[in-house]
Amino acid sequence: MDLVSNLALGFSTALSPENLAFCLIGVLLGTLIGVLPGIGATATIAMLLPITFKLEPVSSLIMLAGIYYGAQYGGSTTAILINMPGESSSAVTAIDGYQMARKGRAGAALSIAALGSFFAGTVSTFLVAIFAIPLTAIALKFGAAEYFSLMVVGLVSSIALAHGSIVKALAMVALGLLLGLVGTDIYTGTPRFTLGIREYADGLNFVAVAVGVFGIAEILRNLEGEKTRSLLMAKVSGLWPTRDDFRRMAGPVLRGTAIGSALGILPGGGAILAAFASYTVEKRVSDNPGEFGQGAIAGVAGPESANNAGAQTSFIPLLTLGIPANPVMALMVGAMIIQGIVPGPNVATEQPTLFWGIIASMWIGNLMLVVLNLPLIGLWVKLLTVPYYVLFPIIMAFCSIGVYSVNSNVYDLYAVALFGLGGYLLVKLRCEPAPLLLGFVLGPLLEENLRRAMILSRGDPTTFVTRPISAFLLALALAVLIIVFLPSVKKKREEVFQEED
Amino acid sequence: MKTLKALFGVSAALAVSLLATSALGQTYPERTITMVVPFAAGGPTDTVTRLVAESMSKDLGQQIVVENVGGAGGTLGAGRVASADPDGYTLLLHHIGMATSATLYRKLAYDTLDGFEYVGLVTDVPMTIVARKDLEPTDLKGLIDYMKANKDTVTVANAGIGAASHLCGMLLMSAMETQFVTVPYKGTGPAMTDLLGGQVDVMCDQTTNTTKQIQGGTIKAYAVTSPARLDNLPDVPTAEEAGLAGFQVGIWHGIYAPKGTPAEVTERLSKSLQVALKDPNVVARFAELGTAPSAEEEATPAALKAKLEGEIARWKPVIEAAGQYAD
Amino acid sequence: MKQLQFDSTNAICGLTFIALGGFFIYQCLNLDLGTAFRMGPGYFPLILAAILTLLGVVVLVQATRVRGEPMGPLALRGMLFILPAPVFFGLTVRGLGFVPSLFFAALIAAFASSRMKPLLAVVLAGAITLFSVLVFSYALGLPFERFGPWTRL
Repeated sequence: MDLVSNLALGFSTALSPENLAFCLIGVLLGTLIGVLPGIGATATIAMLLPITFKLEPVSSLIMLAGIYYGAQYGGSTTAILINMPGESSSAVTAIDGYQMARKGRAGAALSIAALGSFFAGTVSTFLVAIFAIPLTAIALKFGAAEYFSLMVVGLVSSIALAHGSIVKALAMVALGLLLGLVGTDIYTGTPRFTLGIREYADGLNFVAVAVGVFGIAEILRNLEGEKTRSLLMAKVSGLWPTRDDFRRMAGPVLRGTAIGSALGILPGGGAILAAFASYTVEKRVSDNPGEFGQGAIAGVAGPESANNAGAQTSFIPLLTLGIPANPVMALMVGAMIIQGIVPGPNVATEQPTLFWGIIASMWIGNLMLVVLNLPLIGLWVKLLTVPYYVLFPIIMAFCSIGVYSVNSNVYDLYAVALFGLGGYLLVKLRCEPAPLLLGFVLGPLLEENLRRAMILSRGDPTTFVTRPISAFLLALALAVLIIVFLPSVKKKREEVFQEED
Repeated sequence: MKTLKALFGVSAALAVSLLATSALGQTYPERTITMVVPFAAGGPTDTVTRLVAESMSKDLGQQIVVENVGGAGGTLGAGRVASADPDGYTLLLHHIGMATSATLYRKLAYDTLDGFEYVGLVTDVPMTIVARKDLEPTDLKGLIDYMKANKDTVTVANAGIGAASHLCGMLLMSAMETQFVTVPYKGTGPAMTDLLGGQVDVMCDQTTNTTKQIQGGTIKAYAVTSPARLDNLPDVPTAEEAGLAGFQVGIWHGIYAPKGTPAEVTERLSKSLQVALKDPNVVARFAELGTAPSAEEEATPAALKAKLEGEIARWKPVIEAAGQYAD
Repeated sequence: MKQLQFDSTNAICGLTFIALGGFFIYQCLNLDLGTAFRMGPGYFPLILAAILTLLGVVVLVQATRVRGEPMGPLALRGMLFILPAPVFFGLTVRGLGFVPSLFFAALIAAFASSRMKPLLAVVLAGAITLFSVLVFSYALGLPFERFGPWTRL
């Protein structure tokens, strides 16, 4: 039993007192920094990365992995409590999580997120342990055409993010895609839509856009007519999920875990779709889709599980190929290199302690997160009783620091203000920010892979349907489209018939 | 009026710089030094910088903090340092991009040759010419023939304009006098993924990114671009041996200070750099990255200046022939 | 007022989309379109911008058919104080340094609410600054200069 002995090796490494301590420190620091509004996982890790450089390789990576989960969890907490997502995935959590918080169910939303994440983390850790190597082979089958088709599936799914007008949601996606293209075109080096500002040559900062359209827009909305209206939050009712909540989260958590695990394996940006895809699926299978956007439990449980499962399985390409699947994993590679371990295809055989130690610590880190955070939920919820006018100077200060710390680029701060204004105006025009954000993260991937696929196929567009995986994904996109539009068509027809009566 | 103002300005600046010079000479450094890396945290250049900075701080007796000012191919970070106070407390560690961006960017916010003082060379990371593992040719000669024969179908990956792989790819095309279909990616990770998956054919990239893959047999190596074979890739011939005469290219790194930094300060830093480059920890970590520290005579202001001048002249025609600019 | 049956919010929304689409189309005119094999930098964004404009027209047309709620008041005071806070931080963080820059940025943001009292605002900004300096500058060692060159004269 190779697996058993490997896991035993992993656990004996991860359970050594000092590694346990570093894992705990990592999870704790990650949560505490990540929970500061406007500071997402990437910024948190960039800030905490140098601390790990002084440690032993295994401890350093275990701590870093802990920081990663902690930061992600912390990011979801701020997304739920104050509608401030720090990552694209928590933008999805913010949709229904924040609505739950406004209805006084912040505690339940946070517990559901924690428990869902833990379950997903457990399952996907074992997936990593058992299937890491065979799954890698599948991931390598994904070329540009496949990624393009996958992104199309993601785009089609975005329609489900809309609660109001579908046309407006589509327009927001288009706008998001365009904003995602701001910066230097990698194929020709031409700067696009940068208005001549070189600081935007690498594109707009995600956190700046997310904080602007979600967080600041929300602050401004709360500030309008604050004299006449008493505030927003309903009284907090019950910290813990009810029995009924548990029943309703089981399905979404299972589905979210499956979706997240599958998408996380793809090194070309599959994980960012996990939360969005899960939300779409939940809304589709729900008996009560109207509840989504108003604080649906499934809208928190599904995406959070998917997100965490994806976060785990995105270690697979790193551990088996030495290839970072996302910016956070790229930071991990940096940490490994600085430790003298250059990640490559042989990490598992050359450094079994490291490889299995990290896998074991993933699960331990997730366990610690849950143990740590469930008691903290009470504290987080108490934060909501802080008067709003005290809260938002704090929010503005931290988000300024967070945005600036990533690249020391002051133009990212100006972008925060610009997108805050733009986001607020769009909210006033009854447009929803989530589709815009999805478009923003998908824009560059969609274009890049489309153009790359066309280059690789010598300009032959049939490449998208002749490559089997790509064809399958496009068929899936079509199916989603039909399923999404059918009910509304049906409804329209019913309305027409009623009018005729 | 205007001349008077200008005169006053100049004399004030002179006075300040004189004061600064005399004061700096004896006591430098007396506070924390910032070393700017014009790339994101965690990348290969960041790694090199952190290793060197840590070792240099020990020698200087003051902490060196590393600040990542990424963006626009390293030109934002370089611009930041060019306009910083020339007091020796803001330094830049940049790689070959310092020379190539002088041509790749037609409008820069600073003058590459005239905007900096020099401290010294740090390291010269070799490159490798690699291909997907099932590509037929077995040696570099075969690869060249194969690429020339299939010049419309062979694809050459790179990690985006100005990246090491892009520069090496351009140089390869110019050495082979053939144009290939280039496939740009955003960064090395995705480019390597597609090479592993056999979606693209050929790439030329730093050993930092390729060594482990070559050792693991997941990609095929045809040549290294250094003057001699590498210790951790002893079976890979140099490009020279394998039939591409004069094909040498490395991602060299240097430390710079803003123009006007007193010579005593850059000399002091250069001495400190030379000490750091002999630090066994730095040597060992550099070896893991597939590179070696620059020799003592290279880690000097004069050597870096000569290198930069030579490299700007070398790359200008290559980039202009490719006709691709980054702005 | 029966003849004026249209949704002003959606009308403005549609016009905004059309304007944004138009802006991107205008910007695309300077970009190379390329061919389907080697798409230029303008190819994909031009299509998107056209779609955006088109959707804007659809929203505008739909707005004429139904009546919607009015937009409601704008948070003018909020915009006046919240939005300049990060801009101020950006303009001064390297000159004034982290400590004073953050203090004033937080102070500016604090005045966005009419409920904020000046004394409380100062105390709050001070507390935020203290916390941030301890956490980010001392504990995490982020490379921010605490007091910048402008404070040295």
